[in-house]
Amino acid sequence: MKKLIPILFVVAAVTACQKEPSLSKLDDDYVVFTDYDKSASFGDYLTYYMPDSVLLITDSEKATYWTNDEANYILETFAENMAARGFMLVDSKEEADLGLQVSYIEDVHYFVNYPSPNWWWGYPGYWGPGYWGPYWSSWYYPYPVVYSYSVNSFLAELVDLTDQTTTSKRLPVLWDTYMAGLQSSSPRVNQTLVIRAIDQAFNQSPYLTNQ
Amino acid sequence: MKTIKHISLWVVAAAFMVVVPTRGNAQAVSKTYFNVDWQFNAPMGNSYADKASGWGMNFEGGYYVMPHMAIGAYIAYHTNNKYIDRQTLALSSSSALTTDQQHSLFQLPFGLLAKYRFTTSGMFEPYMTVKMGANYSRMSSYMQAWELYRDTWGFAVSPEIGISIFPSPNYRYGLHLAMYYNYATNKSKVLTYEIDGRSNLGFRVGISF
Repeated sequence: MKKLIPILFVVAAVTACQKEPSLSKLDDDYVVFTDYDKSASFGDYLTYYMPDSVLLITDSEKATYWTNDEANYILETFAENMAARGFMLVDSKEEADLGLQVSYIEDVHYFVNYPSPNWWWGYPGYWGPGYWGPYWSSWYYPYPVVYSYSVNSFLAELVDLTDQTTTSKRLPVLWDTYMAGLQSSSPRVNQTLVIRAIDQAFNQSPYLTNQ
Repeated sequence: MKTIKHISLWVVAAAFMVVVPTRGNAQAVSKTYFNVDWQFNAPMGNSYADKASGWGMNFEGGYYVMPHMAIGAYIAYHTNNKYIDRQTLALSSSSALTTDQQHSLFQLPFGLLAKYRFTTSGMFEPYMTVKMGANYSRMSSYMQAWELYRDTWGFAVSPEIGISIFPSPNYRYGLHLAMYYNYATNKSKVLTYEIDGRSNLGFRVGISF
């Protein structure tokens, strides 16, 4: 019986013996994921509309937004990249071929138990299809969605607004990007990382152009 | 790192405390043996987490059914890690992911063994062993705040040669040195990385009693 005891120690030891790698070696840049509808012809679109705020997704059930300085550099970076790809920003949703919506996810733990990958559609204040006009009743992705969530994450989606002839249609999301990274204590560093992440999202999406 | 070291030292100490009092000299108890080893392991044949490391241990015990031949059981574990620079991966024909990564490959083979020792007395006891059993493996990619991983099971086989050195042959407490090769049939894929089989080459340093 005594000889079994060290064996039991061994079994207990190996259950928790994996050596996790040092995460301090990882760089500070964001993880950037992009996906798009392969059937979309981005050359057919010319104009787009982008709200002047970033939806802040937090533990709170009340919708809050980043505006002005908090959101400007983010939205300006998107606008610069969209302009570089030949898309023209317009002031009216009704005139736009595309809509670009940007959200910031502040707390991952709030969403851990959501069973659906599209849980953010139900978030209070999230860009409902109705925001883009009375023509849209719900969303759909023409391609598989593979989001995962972490702290300090940005989510941006490019929707197709061209078919505004009837109501209660599903609004197609043609392109999306998910960017995530650890938050720095320096606002300047955070800003730099976010700008680099947005630029990277466009860099790895060469198809997103009408030129 | 500290956790693993503490656990491993604890196991060695516990094994000594319990087993040592039950074992007398070679004449009284000679049919059972135990090895507890630290090991250095280098994955071979694939580029995933193939950086050699010393993050592993080996535990085995056996019973000599004949003077030269023993059968027994073993369990070992090892982790190999490797940093991957930032790059853009095409996850599918439409999706892409840009990140740097820490790749990690954890292996835990265990099963039965057959051991043949070339001498039965004296200070040096060279031997060869063949081990066969199962291999649990976790293939992981760490990115920023999360880990993507795949757990798999496979069949494992491992030939080993080594020597036990007993400074005082009448008392079977000594040093253990070994070299091994290990192959397992685990097959897994994480992101765009795929491994079909696990080959390893390494050595062990430990105690034998």
